[in-house]
Amino acid sequence: MSNAAMTFSPSRMVSRAFSKHGTLTTGLVLSAAILFIGFVAPFLYTPDPYAIHPAHALEAPSLAFPLGTDELGRNGLALLLSGGLATLVVALPAALVAFLTGLAYGLISGLAPAWVDKLLMRLLDVFLALPSLIVLIFFASLVTLDNTSLILLLGFISWPGLARLVRNEVLAQRGRDFILAAEQSGAGRLYLARAHLLRVIAPVLVVNGTFMIGDSIFALSALSFLGLGVQPPQVSWGSLLETALDIIALDPWWLIVPPGLLVFGSLLAASLTGQGLLRLWGNNR
Amino acid sequence: MTAVLDIRNLSVSLPRGGAGNVPILEHLDLTVAPGEMVALVGESGSGKTIAALSIMRLLPKGAAITGKIWQDGMDLAQADEAAMRRVRGKKIGMVFQNPLSALNPTRTVASQIMEAWRVHEGGSAKAARARALELLGEVGIPNPASRLDDYPHQFSGGMRQRVMIAMALACSPQLLIADEPTTGLDPLIAKQIMALIARLRREHNMGVLFVTHDLSVVEEHADSVHVLYAGRSVEWGKAKEFFAHPRHPYSEALLGAVARLGQARLQNIPGNLPEPESRPAGCRFTPRCAYAQAACSAAYPLPSPAGGTAAACLYPLPAGAQPAYAAATPPATAPRQFLPQLELQDLTVRYGGASGWFGGTKKHPPSLAEVSLTLGRGECLGVVGESGSGKSTLGRAVLQMLPYEGEVVLEGRSFSSLRGQDRRAQRRKLQVVFQDPRESMNPRMSIGEVIAEPLRLKGGMSNAALRVRVEALLASVGLNPEMAARLPGAVSGGQAQRIAIARALAAEPEIIVLDEPTSALDVSTQAMLLNLLKDLASRLALSYILISHDFAVVSYMADRIAVLNAGRIVEMNETSKLISCPQHGYTKALINAAPQLRPHLTREF
Repeated sequence: MSNAAMTFSPSRMVSRAFSKHGTLTTGLVLSAAILFIGFVAPFLYTPDPYAIHPAHALEAPSLAFPLGTDELGRNGLALLLSGGLATLVVALPAALVAFLTGLAYGLISGLAPAWVDKLLMRLLDVFLALPSLIVLIFFASLVTLDNTSLILLLGFISWPGLARLVRNEVLAQRGRDFILAAEQSGAGRLYLARAHLLRVIAPVLVVNGTFMIGDSIFALSALSFLGLGVQPPQVSWGSLLETALDIIALDPWWLIVPPGLLVFGSLLAASLTGQGLLRLWGNNR
Repeated sequence: MTAVLDIRNLSVSLPRGGAGNVPILEHLDLTVAPGEMVALVGESGSGKTIAALSIMRLLPKGAAITGKIWQDGMDLAQADEAAMRRVRGKKIGMVFQNPLSALNPTRTVASQIMEAWRVHEGGSAKAARARALELLGEVGIPNPASRLDDYPHQFSGGMRQRVMIAMALACSPQLLIADEPTTGLDPLIAKQIMALIARLRREHNMGVLFVTHDLSVVEEHADSVHVLYAGRSVEWGKAKEFFAHPRHPYSEALLGAVARLGQARLQNIPGNLPEPESRPAGCRFTPRCAYAQAACSAAYPLPSPAGGTAAACLYPLPAGAQPAYAAATPPATAPRQFLPQLELQDLTVRYGGASGWFGGTKKHPPSLAEVSLTLGRGECLGVVGESGSGKSTLGRAVLQMLPYEGEVVLEGRSFSSLRGQDRRAQRRKLQVVFQDPRESMNPRMSIGEVIAEPLRLKGGMSNAALRVRVEALLASVGLNPEMAARLPGAVSGGQAQRIAIARALAAEPEIIVLDEPTSALDVSTQAMLLNLLKDLASRLALSYILISHDFAVVSYMADRIAVLNAGRIVEMNETSKLISCPQHGYTKALINAAPQLRPHLTREF
C-alpha cells in the first residue's frame, strides 16, 4: 500500500469533494447568492426604490444608477432588491405550506385503511386534472391579494406532487421487514410515521422540498407577471419583468435581464441543490 | 492430457475506498483438466468470485492482475479486449448465480442462445435455431421445440438456470465457469442442476470450475476441491480425500460447521473473516484457529507435502486422521415432552381474494390450506418446504401479519377474540427474525434504538433503564455493548442477525418465528447463530417456529418437523423419526436432496 495515497491533503480533499459533489456545491453557492440578494443586499444598498427621478427616466446603467432607471426614473437596482425581498417572503413560506400539506396528505393516505387511501388518491386525481395556473388565476380573482392570501394560494396549488410521492414511498416502505417487526411489538400508525417512515424518506423529502422552493419562486413570478401576484406599488421580480416588457420596443435590457436572470438563477439553484443531494444520498437508501 | 485451465501465481488487487489498491486474491495456483470438476470453495470475502471473474477478465475498473492464466495456449492475464471477446462464450462458458438478471427479459430464449453461437460461429439463422433447439433438449427442458420462443419470465427458476447453461454451452466451450449456480434455488432443483452440470462435463469432456460457498453442494460431484480463505489457498486436492480427511484446520472447521445428521452441536469458528485491508500476517486463519501457535503468525506456511490433500499449514491434521466432527455420535436421548402452548386450527390463507373496483372476485388456490398443529412450550418446530409451499405464509399468519381463516390460539386465548390493548400485548409475545439482515433494521436508526424499540413501545422505562437493558440484551446475543451507538450499515450479516434476535428478545416473547434466519449467511456464521439460538432457547424457555428450505439446518435445530407442500402439511413427525423413516414421497425427495443428511455418503467415481 502506498503511503502517499494515505497522507492528508486539505486542498486535495476540497478538489475531490468538488469533483464528486460538483452539482451540489454549485447549487449551494448559487442558493447562498440568491438568499444574499434577497435578504441581505436590500439592507446594504438603501436608496429609496420608489423615489422618482424624472430627469433620469429610462437611463442605461451608470455609476449613480448601477442597473439604470425605469421609465419613471426609479433606481433599477433598488427596485430589483426590493422586488427580490418581496418575492422571497411570499415564495418561501408558500413552498413550506405546500410541503407540509403534501407531506401530511401523503402520510395519511399511505397509512390509512385502503378505502381512505383510495378516496384521497381519487380526490388528488381530480385536483391534478385541473390546470394549476388557471385555478390560481380563478382564486386570485376572488380574494384580496396580500402576502398571506398569496402564500396560501401558492401553497394550495403546489402540494399534490409531493403528496403522491410521499404516499407511494410510504406504501413501498410499509412492507419492509423492520416495519413489520415494529408492528409486531405494538407500533401504531403514528409511531411508524414518526420513528420509521419520516426517517427513511427524509432524503426524498429534502430533495423534493428543494425543488418546490424553485417552483414556488417561479410560480409567484408568473403570477406577478400576469398582475395577480404581489400588488403595486410593491414590485416583485415578476412585475418588474412585466412593466419592462411593456416598453420592450425601447430595448431597456437593464430592466429585463437582471430580474429574468434572478428568477432563472433561483430555479437553477434549487434544481442543482436537489439533484446534488439526490446523488449524495442516492446510494445509501 | 493438457489442462483446460492452468492458473499460476495469480494475484488480483482492487481499488477500495480511495486508498489505492487492496489485494483481494494472492498467489493462486489452480488447474482444471478436461472433464474435471474443480470446486473453488470459500466464504464471502475469500476471493473466489474475483478468481472466476479474472479468468474471464470481467474485473471491476482499476483492478490490477499479476500472474498467468493459461488457457488453450494463451495467457488470459495478458490478453487484450479483442482477444478476450473471442475467448468469452467460445472457449470458456460462464453461468451466473441469478439467471433472471443474466437473461434479457425482452428477448426470447432462442434468440439469446442463438446470439452466443452466431457471434462466434457465424452461420445462418436457421442453423443457429437448430443449435438452440438441440441445446435446450440437452439441458433437459421438456418440449424444447415449443419453448424456443418463450421469454425468460415464462420459465421457472430452475429452468432459467438450464437456459443459462444452454447459452454457456452454445459453442461447446472447453471450460465452464459456474459461479454459485445453485444458490437461491430450492434443494430439489439445485440437486438437478448439479447433476446436469456433472453429466454435461462428462459427455463433453469439459472442465468445470465450480465456485461456491457451500461445501455440501459439491460433495457429491466434484473431483477436486480448492479452499480459499481471506484471499489465499489453504487446502487443495482430491475431493474424496478432502471430504474424508481434511487437513487444514479451516477446512475441518468449515466441514464441522455444516449441519449433519446426528450432530450434537455444530462446530463454532470464533471471530470473523478479516477484511481485505486488515488481513493478519502469516497464516490468515491464525486468530480463529484452535491449533494456532506462535510460529503461525510469522510467515505464510508452505503447503505440506505429505500424503492426501495439500494444506498450507504448519500443523496440519495428520493425513488420514478422523476429523473432529466425524467423531460426534447421535445423541441417544428420548424425545422431549412439551406442554401445549400455541395451537393452529384449520389455518387457511388466501391471497388476491379481495375484489377491485371493477371485476368480481378471483378464486386463487389458498397459499395455506387447513393447517392444524400444536407447538409445545420450549419446543422448536421446524417447517420445511420449497419456495411457494406456504411456509413463510404460515409464519406470517401465526404472527398476525396477514388476514387468515381459522384460529391461532396462544396460551388458551384465540387472537380472533382479542381487541385493542389485549391483542397488542398478546401479539407482542410472538416475535420474528427475518431472513435478510439488512432489511430487518431501519438503516437510519442506531443499533441501540433498534433493540430498544419494543421496550419503548411497551413503555414504562426510563432512558437510563433502557440503556442498561439494551446493553444486557447485546451481551446476551454475544455482542459488544458498545455497538449500541453504531448504525446498522456498519455491521456484518451475522452481527445484524444477532441484533435482530436481541430486538426480538427485548419484547420478552414466548415464541419466536425464525423465517430463514441463516439463509443469507456464510456457513461458519450460520453455525454460530444456530448454536446461539439453541442456547437462548434452553436458557429462556423459548419456543421456536423455524422456517427453512434447508433440511439440514432444520434437522439440527428442531424437535419436530412439519413438511409443507402446496400449502398443506404432507408429513409431520419427530425429527429423528422423520429423517430415518420418511413416509411421504415428497419428504423422501427433500431428504435425498440434502447430501449432508446422509451419514455415509456413497460416492461414485
